[in-house]
Amino acid sequence: MFEKMVNFALRRPRVIFGITIFLTIASCLQFLKIKIDTDPENMLSEKEFVRLFHKEVKKEFSLNDYIVLGVVNEQDKDGVFNPGTLEKVYDITQAIKKIDGVVTYELMSLSNKDDIRQGGPGEVVFRWLMDKPPYTPEDALRIKIRALANPLFYNTLISQDARALCIYVPIKEKNLSYKISRAIQDILKSHQGQEQYYLAGLPLAEDAFGKEMFVQMGICAPLAILVIFLLMFWFFRNIVLVLIPILMAVDVVLLTMGLMVGLGFPIHIMSSMIPIFLLPICVLDSIHILSDFFEEYKKTHDKNKTVAHVLKTLFIPNLFTSITTIAGFFSLSFAPIPPIQIFGIFVAVGVGIAWFTTVLFIPAYVALLKEDKLKGFGLTQEELKETGFSKLLVILGRLTVRRWPVFLMATLVVVALSIYGITRIRINDNPTKWFANRHPIRQADTVLNKHFGGTYSVYFIFAAKDKDAEVFKEPAMLVYIQKLQDYLYKENQVGKSTSVADVVMKVYYELMGGNKIYYTIPVTKAAVAQCLLSFENSHKPDDLFHFVTPDYSKANLWLQLKSGDNQVMAQVKRDTEKFIKDNPPPYQVSYNWSGLTYINMVWQDKMVMGMLWNFIGSFIIVLLMMIILLRSVVAAFVSMVPLIVTVLFIYGSLGFTGKEYDMPVAVLSALTLGLAIDFSIHFVERAKTIYAVKGNWKDTSEEMFLSPYRAILRNALVVSIGFLPLFISPLVPYNTVGLFMFAIMLFASVGTLIILPAIVSMHPGVIFYEPTNRFLRSCPQCILMSLVIAIGVAYVLIAYTATPWNIATVIAVGSVGLLSALCFFVSRLRQCFFTKSDKGGVK
Amino acid sequence: MKKNISIFLFLFLMGIGSVYAQMSADDIAGRASHMGYYQDKDGRSQAKMVITDSQGRRRERQMTILRFNISDNGDQKYYVYFDKPSDVKGMAYIVWKHLSKDDDRWLYLPALDLVRRVASSDKRSSFAGTNFLYEDVSGRSVNLDNHELLSSEGDSYMIKNTPKDADQVEFSYYQVQVDKSNFIPLKAEYYDKEGKLYRIVEAAEIKEIQGYPTIVKMIAQDLNSGSSTTAEFTDISYGIGINDSIFTERYLRNPPMQWIKG
Repeated sequence: MFEKMVNFALRRPRVIFGITIFLTIASCLQFLKIKIDTDPENMLSEKEFVRLFHKEVKKEFSLNDYIVLGVVNEQDKDGVFNPGTLEKVYDITQAIKKIDGVVTYELMSLSNKDDIRQGGPGEVVFRWLMDKPPYTPEDALRIKIRALANPLFYNTLISQDARALCIYVPIKEKNLSYKISRAIQDILKSHQGQEQYYLAGLPLAEDAFGKEMFVQMGICAPLAILVIFLLMFWFFRNIVLVLIPILMAVDVVLLTMGLMVGLGFPIHIMSSMIPIFLLPICVLDSIHILSDFFEEYKKTHDKNKTVAHVLKTLFIPNLFTSITTIAGFFSLSFAPIPPIQIFGIFVAVGVGIAWFTTVLFIPAYVALLKEDKLKGFGLTQEELKETGFSKLLVILGRLTVRRWPVFLMATLVVVALSIYGITRIRINDNPTKWFANRHPIRQADTVLNKHFGGTYSVYFIFAAKDKDAEVFKEPAMLVYIQKLQDYLYKENQVGKSTSVADVVMKVYYELMGGNKIYYTIPVTKAAVAQCLLSFENSHKPDDLFHFVTPDYSKANLWLQLKSGDNQVMAQVKRDTEKFIKDNPPPYQVSYNWSGLTYINMVWQDKMVMGMLWNFIGSFIIVLLMMIILLRSVVAAFVSMVPLIVTVLFIYGSLGFTGKEYDMPVAVLSALTLGLAIDFSIHFVERAKTIYAVKGNWKDTSEEMFLSPYRAILRNALVVSIGFLPLFISPLVPYNTVGLFMFAIMLFASVGTLIILPAIVSMHPGVIFYEPTNRFLRSCPQCILMSLVIAIGVAYVLIAYTATPWNIATVIAVGSVGLLSALCFFVSRLRQCFFTKSDKGGVK
Repeated sequence: MKKNISIFLFLFLMGIGSVYAQMSADDIAGRASHMGYYQDKDGRSQAKMVITDSQGRRRERQMTILRFNISDNGDQKYYVYFDKPSDVKGMAYIVWKHLSKDDDRWLYLPALDLVRRVASSDKRSSFAGTNFLYEDVSGRSVNLDNHELLSSEGDSYMIKNTPKDADQVEFSYYQVQVDKSNFIPLKAEYYDKEGKLYRIVEAAEIKEIQGYPTIVKMIAQDLNSGSSTTAEFTDISYGIGINDSIFTERYLRNPPMQWIKG
């Protein structure tokens, strides 16, 4: 069947081209209905408790996600409290109110906050903090003194050193933040002076990341393609042939993305990375073919025959690598995180498309080429042996064969060190850190968190069991909340916290004549109630209900963290829970967490565990497929060794370098599996083919050092160097992907070329052994195989019971079924391949 | 000389005539203020205020309001005594409203046995957390605004009121619809500095009590926050002979129950 496909493509190239062009145009048309979703909150299903709760909390306490505009004046001796700066702040606030999408009513700025303070003797005053800009420096300083004296403002609206102040811009929708931030920047342009302006806040970081991500996709992906193209041209020195993998990769990306968009899936942060992942995989497939074509062409000078022959030799390895990669990515569909499911499934689909393109598109392309375009193309074996690169490979190869114990020992040392490194991995993520240090958002984050209590909001919500008891008017409960706040300050992760207790204390203190000894919670519930009713006589009584519900059955403790790191959030959570455990609340209350910083922590926890679970799953599935494909459990395990070492090494080095395990790193583990196994498959398959002719390992290895080694290393070089352009991106996840791709490709290829020959030299039988005894051949194999199958099936069942079903999972399960059938078919086909094939190459 | 007098007389009569045909905006505003806040020499009512926020959550306040006119359309004194919620029962305010200077305001917190003067240069703060402002309860002095008659079609006048000192208030102007037949202010609409309507106060129900047309139900809406407050007035009586002396600090601690309970 395969030969029919290739021959059809060779005979009717125009038909193949026609179909390809038609499908590509059809895919491109799908982009018309593109939907973009850049909200990391969608890492969790909408029905996830923490998201529903966050929504409820936002409604109950009238909270909004907000952008923080920081104004810093380091030049004036009074910091921001000089008439010039305050006038700008006033004007900017007025202008921001007019921006579409801003919740004007809840905007927090010096100029629309009410303040309670002492008037004349025995008098309290409720007055706007700054209802108009001050005229004199004295007026400005008066505002400073009042603002610093109000616990609701200091460290939130103004910094303790008075050099900075913040405007909190609440937004109706998170995905408006980038647009609103641009509008704010326009306003700032006309208010330049001594002041520096900074825009920060999680929603902005998240939304801006999404927007910049697409720009980066447009720069980095094409740049990667260009670099890969140049490298391949350097290797093969023939433009028309080198165009093959490039055209193929672009086409596969278009087809896959078109299919995804066409099926109605939005492009999420994750799925925007699909092109970046598909690119190396496509290139890998085609480089093997090009590489062989390059070396075989001189033998016949018949392009069609050569390509047919090369495709046939590489049919099994190409199919194996595609199937194992597909399996690896499909197992991402078990992840409890919808965007990762979709990502995994469509990368897998893309790999499938890439395989078809390889066997149909490449022969068709070659068939259309004029023979004279290939003049001088390729090198004969003799010429090849002369190149320095080849000599080096032969030396390395012989060394691994002769000194195999040294290499195996070294491998064990690397493994041991890596395992130690893995124990030191720090799991952490922070959307702000997705931007490079030099990015304005990152700089704003640093500056503002230096001056203020923190730009990362978390809401700790108390809910009373008895809804009618007005528990959060009870002095004992308020004292308790105040103690929790003090405790959290001492633990140093919380920069600022605000609660209803702060409101009561401030009002009580002012009512009692501004005497410090009254900076406390009054002793009776009636006194608390009367303080609160006094507060409600202000200009913005609603401000109270950000901290407590009007029925006093729920309270919100607003925590501001200086860092959006999940580790900091996790620490605050642990601290709080410890406090509550050690100090039971005076009334029966339940508690829960909310806020974007908390949500990020939740999905990250889920993802880390999910990805680990997935990785184990992918591993079992790939192992299972290797057993079926190689028809030997031992050979399958051996071929998994370089992969295991690579994975351990990569993650071990994370532990040593201190790079944190974050979202992109987690997802890359799946890619490691898909790419690293490719090298093993090529190695084992080629070795077996050569062994069938040569009959002994020594001669086989000598042959292996040539064309197969070169193909593997070429691949590794092209892909690893091809991804270096990702380093210029100002988005850190892109840098991470670039770095990892580089490390994985280099380590996996070199690892394969060192570890596998060393193992085989130790005992060639591990891959070449073909038992003659029928019983020995099948029985232990059968038992092991059924064991692995049983584990695989159990894993899939467990994984799917834990995963909510959706369109994505249905596609995934369907495809797994299809793959199994294909596997079965291939493993039978393989027999005929070897009996029919001329076992040695075209003479 | 005689001629001069006759011309003067003529002009004078002309003046009267035009006033009669069409009242000036100032007169309408003055009469509306009188109908809203000055009927008879004193008055008493029970007010029940229900605040409904944008999520439909309701809170209640119940209080007794006593009013005493020092002079008609001039200075006044108010006593506000809280009955509900129960934990603020006994909280009380006294307001001495002055037309020519800032009001005097005192607050009493029984749980702390504390009397505090509350600075009242700004009367546009919330009245006890409701959507009514202090100025809605005691009335905004007519002298603070310039009045302009926008229309007098149909059954009502439409008066545009622009503050003389724009810095003192959060609105740029407000329009009041006044009933032609009895000069009761029916609806006030407030526009912010950007010219957007953001606040509406309206008379929802009017009854004749002791011969005085009286607003018995009022609704204040804050369009920005989406919350509103409905005030219902009951047990209304006029001319009950309240003594001037109860509007003092002494009576904050010892509420004049004979007037409060009616």
